[in-house]
Amino acid sequence: MSERAGMRLTLGTFPVTSIVFGARTSYDGGRLTVDKTAALAAVREDARIVEADLEIATPGESVRIWPVRDVIEPRVKIDGPGVCYPGMCGRDITTVGRGRTHRLAGMGVVEVSSVNWHDSGGDFVETYLDMSGHYGEMYPYAKLQLLCLVVEPDRELGDEARNDAVHKAALAVSDHVAAATRELSPPSTEVFELGAVDPSLPRVVYIWGVHSPQAMSGSPTAFGTATYGLTRLTPAWLLHPNEILDGALTGPYRTAFAMSWTVANNPLLMDLYRRHGRDWNFLGVIALRTEWTTQHEKQLIANQTAKLAAMLGADGAVVTWDAGGNEFIEVIRTIRECEGLGIKTVFLTSEDDATDGAPTMLEPLPEADAIVSTSFFRNRTLGVAPVPPVARVIGLPTKAMNDDLRAGVGAGYERLVPVSGTLPPPWRYDDHYGFNSLSCIE
Amino acid sequence: MISAIYEFALTTGANRVVRGSRIEHVCGDPGLGPEKDYAYGMRIVTTALDALTTAVSGPTLFDPVHGASTAELARV
Repeated sequence: MSERAGMRLTLGTFPVTSIVFGARTSYDGGRLTVDKTAALAAVREDARIVEADLEIATPGESVRIWPVRDVIEPRVKIDGPGVCYPGMCGRDITTVGRGRTHRLAGMGVVEVSSVNWHDSGGDFVETYLDMSGHYGEMYPYAKLQLLCLVVEPDRELGDEARNDAVHKAALAVSDHVAAATRELSPPSTEVFELGAVDPSLPRVVYIWGVHSPQAMSGSPTAFGTATYGLTRLTPAWLLHPNEILDGALTGPYRTAFAMSWTVANNPLLMDLYRRHGRDWNFLGVIALRTEWTTQHEKQLIANQTAKLAAMLGADGAVVTWDAGGNEFIEVIRTIRECEGLGIKTVFLTSEDDATDGAPTMLEPLPEADAIVSTSFFRNRTLGVAPVPPVARVIGLPTKAMNDDLRAGVGAGYERLVPVSGTLPPPWRYDDHYGFNSLSCIE
Repeated sequence: MISAIYEFALTTGANRVVRGSRIEHVCGDPGLGPEKDYAYGMRIVTTALDALTTAVSGPTLFDPVHGASTAELARV
């Protein structure tokens, strides 16, 4: 593919091996010092915020963070158009992906708040993170240095505004710490572009399904992996992978493996990109918005996504999704339509509960014949043991729970249990992008 | 089975499938207003009752609006 858009991005990586609070926010040899007062002042510039505090969690520590809405990798645009995480919470929507970007690797800014996504459809915040023990090890976050923003907005605001306010606050902290690298030379850099390659290499596109909360909540922007801030049900988007490296695909989300940090560090995307020109010709990313709500809509979006892949000249497509339930229909039918157009597909997915004899794929169409499984979707099926007590809690001291052991901050879960005690793991564990190293014996 | 995602119901082997409206409101459409919403819902339910008394030899679709993409177009 020619680079007519001039999409060349230098990504400078600053590894973070410790975070401490200190007098001035700065980065020095892996140590990130955070001026807590200055970082919280940036958060409080938004008058909707009424409570905010910062705490640090380190790998191996006996600490639990609850409720976790998002984990963000701090990234900042140093040179070139736009801002990182564009379009989110009213940020600049200039097309990104060019110039130079700095990232603080090995750390995350955690968005900790009681703000629920909304009060319908079961989309309640249910993620908690442990920094030690078997449950912590199942996620990439327990290996990160975490800077946790515990934040509450004005309770009188509506769901949309409260969601917007707390994510904007987390981005303010992310911006504040990332800016510490602005004048520094990165310890390592990597240049990303889709340069011309051997024309005989197979042409591969990544079809990346991203859930839309619109149908269930009516929310156009507030939560879910957004494209330039939008989570509406929209036709498929063609994205340059550099746009994603600059955060054009990002947002807080209900499953731990689709939070901003995992989207920014998606190992499948990085591998597709780094092997461009060697093993294949990587054509880019088609972001397929999911959770359409009629058969016609689901089939139409599948048809059009496959058509777009065909127009790009794809020989092959890898497909992921980030949800569970009816979104599967447009994803599996996109695979069927791609196969019908001669585009070979590989589907990376978690599997559903098969304990009652149901198929582990909601609609197991025969065209989806190359599947990589990232394990079972439900922690119960997976046999994850109860999670032991911890010495310290960051965030809320209690969480609600029902008799089915689903636990969240949502309505209808009135039994409160102490967060520091033994807890069941959240009911779902869906590794959307292939982070984990779980294995099984059949 | 009344289903908004009726093809899925058919591919997974339900014998009598009635085409519903949307996942959010399977048996009606509040956007039509109270009277038309009621008429549309009644059409879906009576189609389902008719389906129950119809012999089928395999997964079969019963469509209350005869292929129209919305109930409004079908003048229910």
